[in-house]
Amino acid sequence: MDRGRESPLEQLGASSGRDFPNLLSARERTASGLEARRSRLAELAHDGDTSVVLMGSWGRAEVTAGSDDDFMVLVDGAERDEVEPPIEAVKTVLDQAPGDQGVFGEPVFCDNLVENVGLDSDDNKNLTRRMLLILESVPATAGDVYAAARERVLRRYLDESIKDFRPPRFLLNDTVRYWRTICVDFAGKEQAGPEKWGLRNAKLRTSRKVLFAGGLLPIFECVNLERGAMFDVLNARFDMPPTDRIAQAFIDHEASDPGARALGAYDEFLGLLDDENFRRELRDVTRATADESKAFAEVRRLGADLEAGLLGLLFETEPLSKLVRDYAIF
Amino acid sequence: MEDIRDDWAAQVAQAWTVSPFATELSALSEAQLDSLHQYLASGPALPFRYLSIHGPSKDRRLSEEALVAELCQLAGWADGIVMHPDTIEEPDLYRDLGRKLLIENMDSRKELGRTQDELAPTFAELPEAGFCFDVAHAWSMAPDMSVASELLDAFGDRLRHLHVSSLSVDLHHVPLTEEHEELFGPLLQRCLDVPWILEAPPRPN
Repeated sequence: MDRGRESPLEQLGASSGRDFPNLLSARERTASGLEARRSRLAELAHDGDTSVVLMGSWGRAEVTAGSDDDFMVLVDGAERDEVEPPIEAVKTVLDQAPGDQGVFGEPVFCDNLVENVGLDSDDNKNLTRRMLLILESVPATAGDVYAAARERVLRRYLDESIKDFRPPRFLLNDTVRYWRTICVDFAGKEQAGPEKWGLRNAKLRTSRKVLFAGGLLPIFECVNLERGAMFDVLNARFDMPPTDRIAQAFIDHEASDPGARALGAYDEFLGLLDDENFRRELRDVTRATADESKAFAEVRRLGADLEAGLLGLLFETEPLSKLVRDYAIF
Repeated sequence: MEDIRDDWAAQVAQAWTVSPFATELSALSEAQLDSLHQYLASGPALPFRYLSIHGPSKDRRLSEEALVAELCQLAGWADGIVMHPDTIEEPDLYRDLGRKLLIENMDSRKELGRTQDELAPTFAELPEAGFCFDVAHAWSMAPDMSVASELLDAFGDRLRHLHVSSLSVDLHHVPLTEEHEELFGPLLQRCLDVPWILEAPPRPN
């Protein structure tokens, strides 16, 4: 087989002798589900600067039986009152649109994402929308609009401050900021009530970590690049699912075995998540009952294995360990 | 460690000076199990993120059933229980240890558990068991590291931690030599995500 046509995840599997059956079948499920949704959504009237974008497990190519159709209506322009298609129209077309769309319950205007970075106007919603657009999204309609909007957001970070052969600090800082925001918000949500604690905690140990690492690693890869080449490389990386970005980093740093163990653990988690009984148990887990839950014990174990592999990659391979030291703390 | 063999608090204190990350408490003689149990049951505040216990490989008196029952209790305080495969007579009994059971590859003095082929039946009977890779034991089987490489190829997906050292001429663990550090390097690179337990004090600078 032509290895060049295999995804980085498949290449990692081939070099380590490990399969990732759940991740690969989730990719197939994502692709077929995306195709079905694209044809239905294409029938909705669209403004010329608007794209329906699927988020979350769709953006990670990790759709399982319990996945919601998280989406945003993205407008590559300035804020306005009327947008086609309206959120409600998109909801009627999607199978599993969540009742509460959270930060995506209203159209997302790219001008806000690009112009409001930092300071008071860059609130939690704006940060979340911007980072998820970069790290965990896939267009369901108007791919050209999506690509143009994401390019504007990425180029906002790759401004005159970036230097040849240095990671782009502006993007790095916002990526780290987003990860820490998720972690802090987890504590905030727990204070508000114990509902969904188990699922949120499980995500923090697994898919959120994959999301963060999948952002961090391409940024560190820029240490090999002149500034003019960074956009194309980052853009290509962010077209990949985060697990491919991570697999690629393990391969590039000659750490295929640890990579296979880390992503093998994540693969196992995804397989469990596909099981309704497992999801139900996880949904009901609270901090008070976590120690008695078998499902949560599995999440703890798999999350620890995933983290061990990522920490090994970041702290025990060169030049990543030096880059983490020089850039990830201060 | 000979002078503090039964002084668990002293062993912990000494291990802490090497690394606050991981350590292994070795009850290689069955007679040490009681004192280790008492020590851990007293609830000592341990700094380690990873703690393994090496189960007995000599002076066995308990029935295997009673030994596993004791190991299961110890497992409540540890991340892993390391056992030598040649001491396991009834593998079924050890299934109660689940994923905490770690099977270590043996050195060339032993007649079992040294190679991929010799370990495969044990892992087949204990599908949840992890692999404790002793790099020096593998070297004793093949100084070109071919056995080591085969072990990682075969059981890498089960790898939970490493035993790192060199071996003396009579195959006792001694500090890792510079020569072995270089020789073992490519294999150790394949294991950078799991705890490394030094089976002899670090080499003096």
